[in-house]
Amino acid sequence: MTRLNGKTAVITGGATGIGRAAAKRFVEEGAFVFIFGRRQEALDAAVADLGANARAVKGSVSNEADLDRLYAAVKAERGSLDIVFANAGAGGPLPLGQITAEHIDETFDTNVKGTIFTVQKALPLMGPGGSIILTGSSAGTTGAPGFTAYSASKAAVRNLARTWAEDLKGTGIRVNVLSPGATATELAKEALGEEGQKAYGAMTPLQRMADPAEIGAVAAFLASSDSSFMTASEVAVDGGLAQL
Amino acid sequence: MITGRREKELKEAAAFIMRNVTAVVGDVSLLEDLDRLYAVVKEKHGHIDILFANAGAGTIAPLAVATEAHFDQTFDVNVKGLFFTVQKALPLFKDGGSIILNSSVSNVLGLPGFSTYAASKAAVRNFARAWTLELKDRKIRVNAMSPGAIETPALETTTGLTPEQAEQAAAQFASQIPMGRRGKPEEIAAAVTFLASDESSFITGVDLAVDGGMAQV
Repeated sequence: MTRLNGKTAVITGGATGIGRAAAKRFVEEGAFVFIFGRRQEALDAAVADLGANARAVKGSVSNEADLDRLYAAVKAERGSLDIVFANAGAGGPLPLGQITAEHIDETFDTNVKGTIFTVQKALPLMGPGGSIILTGSSAGTTGAPGFTAYSASKAAVRNLARTWAEDLKGTGIRVNVLSPGATATELAKEALGEEGQKAYGAMTPLQRMADPAEIGAVAAFLASSDSSFMTASEVAVDGGLAQL
Repeated sequence: MITGRREKELKEAAAFIMRNVTAVVGDVSLLEDLDRLYAVVKEKHGHIDILFANAGAGTIAPLAVATEAHFDQTFDVNVKGLFFTVQKALPLFKDGGSIILNSSVSNVLGLPGFSTYAASKAAVRNFARAWTLELKDRKIRVNAMSPGAIETPALETTTGLTPEQAEQAAAQFASQIPMGRRGKPEEIAAAVTFLASDESSFITGVDLAVDGGMAQV
């Protein structure tokens, strides 16, 4: 399919995992993609794989100056922007009783503040037909033991789309949340090990973890005009994990 | 294969679709009609990959005056009809297929005068949950899809509203929708196609709202 022909996209957290899978899919569908991430080595490897229609900008979503550099690069090379996939996110477990202020700040700086400024700073480059996709999580609607900060931050992300759909009324720009469940990214596979992957698969009605490409396919749907009457929606891509 | 109650409209729809289509006249609330439908499917194709259980209806009837006939009619079509549409398809269903249930944004909204319709659509959304688990070993995905206000003739022709009321309702819907307009049938079709295809291979048990934000904010 070539649903994204001629479109320009930004994907934060785009060098690895879900962001990388989405970047691959967006490029295959005809888009020009800017990936944004913190590690130069991972960015270089991703761009080498993605080919001529991909650029990398190094930076962190929790740093406003880095985001300014990202959008300056988009403006200089493409002039405008059609798709923002605000996907960068982070957060490990820290059980209630051991939570530190630093842990909360770190998680919310990336997942909430980072998402807000990723979108706010993109808007001057966007216009009618634009699509913003925020990465939520099944943890945003379920209890995830030990993941107080992460789960709360993802619930916040889901809610951003509600307010922004109203704030963006009349602009022709849509905003939706894509909420993955257990996804077999390289990072997750490494962190969980064989046993952990099996356990997450067993918890999921589809009895397996997602391939990152399956999340990328849904991001492409939300980026394209196939979802033209969707805004403020949350699309769970979790194999049923948080749906029942 | 398309099915519906009205022969003339079905024939027109088949002509509009042009190819790869067979029309079978029938009413989802009549089990013998469903049996006839699936007998034709079996004879012509032998199996089913995708089922879009879409037939539904709702008429205006405030709580204080709604009749038993109104209640039964709404649930017969939207709940019982949909239930047996899916049950009777199962013997023909290929493992790994996709079932899409047409719910409605009213499954989470209070709509004065449409409480039976809204309740029936909430039931539909919940079918997707249990059936996801019941059919997981066959790798059949089951999702609900909830349209908001869509530009179909139904508002004018089937709800029992006068033309003026229908026009008012349409304008009111548009003002309540963050996208500022009603949806087009083609936009619903695109979302249903997404759920039918492998593009949504890790999506099951969800309620996909295609409502311009109407019930989301």
